[in-house]
Amino acid sequence: MLSDSEAKELLSFLTLETRPDVKGQATEYILGLTGNRDGCRYLRSKPDFLKALVTLTRDPSIAIVKDCYHAVINLSADETLHQPLIKETDLLAILFKNLLDPEYVFADRICTILSNLSRHERTCRDVFHALQEQKIGLDKVVEIFCTEGFNKTASLHYLGPLLSNLTQLPEARHFILDKDRCVIQRLLPYTQYEESTTRRGGVVGTLRNCCFDYAHHEWLLSDAVDILPYLLLPLAGPEELSEEENEGLPVDLQYLPEDKKREDDPDIRKMLLETLMLLTATKVGRQIMNKKNVYPIMREFHKWEKDPHVISTCEKLVQVLIGDEPEAGMENLMEVEIPNDVEEKLKELDAKEQEQMEKDKQECEKKQNESPEALER
Amino acid sequence: MAAPTQGEDSDDAMDEFMEKFKTQKYKNAFSESNWEEEFEKVPMFMKTAPESIDPEKHPDLACIQSIIHDDDRTPEEKARGLKDEGNDYFKEKKYKKAVVSYTEGLKKNCTDIELNAILYTNRAAAHFHLGNMRSALNDATAAKKLKPDHIKAIIRGAQCSMELRNYAGALQWCDEGLRLLPTEKKLQELRATADKQKREAERDARKAKVKAKKQQNEKETLLAAIKERGIKLLKTEPSQRRGSDSEDDDGDRGASRALADLELDGISSQEATGACVYMDEQGVLHWPVLFLYPEHSQTDFISAFCENSSFMDHLAVMFGEELPPWDSERKYQPQNLQLFFEDPEKGNLYQVDLEKSLLNVLQHQRCSVKAGTPSFIVLVSGSPFSKQFLSGKKVQRLK
Repeated sequence: MLSDSEAKELLSFLTLETRPDVKGQATEYILGLTGNRDGCRYLRSKPDFLKALVTLTRDPSIAIVKDCYHAVINLSADETLHQPLIKETDLLAILFKNLLDPEYVFADRICTILSNLSRHERTCRDVFHALQEQKIGLDKVVEIFCTEGFNKTASLHYLGPLLSNLTQLPEARHFILDKDRCVIQRLLPYTQYEESTTRRGGVVGTLRNCCFDYAHHEWLLSDAVDILPYLLLPLAGPEELSEEENEGLPVDLQYLPEDKKREDDPDIRKMLLETLMLLTATKVGRQIMNKKNVYPIMREFHKWEKDPHVISTCEKLVQVLIGDEPEAGMENLMEVEIPNDVEEKLKELDAKEQEQMEKDKQECEKKQNESPEALER
Repeated sequence: MAAPTQGEDSDDAMDEFMEKFKTQKYKNAFSESNWEEEFEKVPMFMKTAPESIDPEKHPDLACIQSIIHDDDRTPEEKARGLKDEGNDYFKEKKYKKAVVSYTEGLKKNCTDIELNAILYTNRAAAHFHLGNMRSALNDATAAKKLKPDHIKAIIRGAQCSMELRNYAGALQWCDEGLRLLPTEKKLQELRATADKQKREAERDARKAKVKAKKQQNEKETLLAAIKERGIKLLKTEPSQRRGSDSEDDDGDRGASRALADLELDGISSQEATGACVYMDEQGVLHWPVLFLYPEHSQTDFISAFCENSSFMDHLAVMFGEELPPWDSERKYQPQNLQLFFEDPEKGNLYQVDLEKSLLNVLQHQRCSVKAGTPSFIVLVSGSPFSKQFLSGKKVQRLK
């Protein structure tokens, strides 16, 4: 890396007052450093550099600011840099302030950085508290996220993963699930947002995390929120169902057109199914889901799905839906105590199943790679 | 009433005054017979205000009113007064009058923004209760423009949008309101309702689309089946349709014209119910068929004649047990009947073999179906009318 004197010199170039050409070269160099792990680790020990980078985001030159943001994105991708970035600089304050500015052209980069920083619990908590302290609050983030065209030059899709990450904290979930406000309801339509996988995935992740709080399940499944159709729509297809089956479905799933497409991304499909699974944890949840006749949707989905991991999750869900009610005392599946030896056995089975699914997936991919050659012949 | 004399507070004068009451009638007093009526006329004792104030009948009221609308006051005061007047009318559910008052208040163009916003909002409410949703919405919008944080205007705007079935619009109003007051219960409820109705409307649209598609498919299948059998459907008069001369149009225009030809509306028979040819589950066609009896100017309408049934099958039933009441000579018996169809192009008549099926006959080269209903002329063989009817016409008899 750099010697102490070299570092000192470089640092001196990283100020707002420096000549633009020198400044530009310096930031370019730093950006280069952040491009690899060693460079990032080096900078971790140099808080002054971090401070300088953050300060230079205020630079009048767009090119410099662009490089700085790029560098910070790279740094934030490395978990070991999180605490230094937060604690040694005023990064969060700057990020939030600019996020709220509808004219700020680097808003998307801000979202990416925040999304990175909130990935792991410790810094996530710092991000959340900074939100509160800056008097912005999660509701402003949700509002910006849900306002079409809030920022003309930035799509703000990465606020989706940010929200998803934040909801690993109970305090964030508490806000999203607030019955006295209209927060989660505004996020629901985005499970079908075609233009961005990132946004969609972020929202689905948020919903999944929120469904861990089973005390809220009845409310989530009630008309006040009505989460179920928004989870099922991405999984529902164009297949024609009988009139009888249609009439029994939730309104949004009835009479779907011939060109209805299912969710493209298998990870998101899996998350949706996991969310549905979570909602079957309570007896009330199971009853509501059975009453709303989701089974035909799952049936058609199962026929269509190719990815073994997703199929497996789907099968588990269907089993709960069509299976018998558990014995008394075991109705809340999340609270059931599993004896140790049974737990061991289940872990073993799970591991074996994972192995098998990986094998299936590889076979599947191998087949896909093989066939083009066969055709050429 | 006699005024007490100046400086007088001695008992004597008082006594004298009181004495007068015993003898002199109180001038301008209420008469004993209609004092209740009279009471009603005094503004202070009125139980209800009259609809319109006639200065001659109610001089006191008219006087008070003119004080209220005295021109010496500032625009704000006048506007406020009119707002209050409107509110009073509103409480009495006299919404039209309320609208008038609020409008007058707005006309004062006073500079108090809040007051004007209230006037617009209240007028919106009055219009809402009168069912004038568009006016109400306009007023709510105007109120919000003046005062973007006026929650009552926003709630009203959302309600109007709902009534106008603009659910997306209603949601926008609600979200705007919730941005200001996130915990406003009424807005949350409105939002949930608007969202629900929006989704139901979307479902209804999808359902209608599916139904229309299904009907279209069924019609196309039907047309294809008819064409496959080689049955000719006559197009309607050129005056009603622009179009080519070809009978076998395959394009959309041909299809929709042919589809229109299948549409039946009220054929002369009393039993007609707008019946149309249809295909059953086994793929068999059933036609509405008209039998014409020119001798007696009568008709019979069979709503669903299976293409595989023969004419004799039907005639045996129709003329089997009882002969029709118009058959005065009792001669329309199945074995005596002769059926013909007309070639509309040339005016020729073709006799029908009664043992043949409908399908068979329809497939005849010169046979075509007009207005989706095959029709046949029924005559009694050898009858004078029959001879007369057929004379002068080119008739293709059965061999």
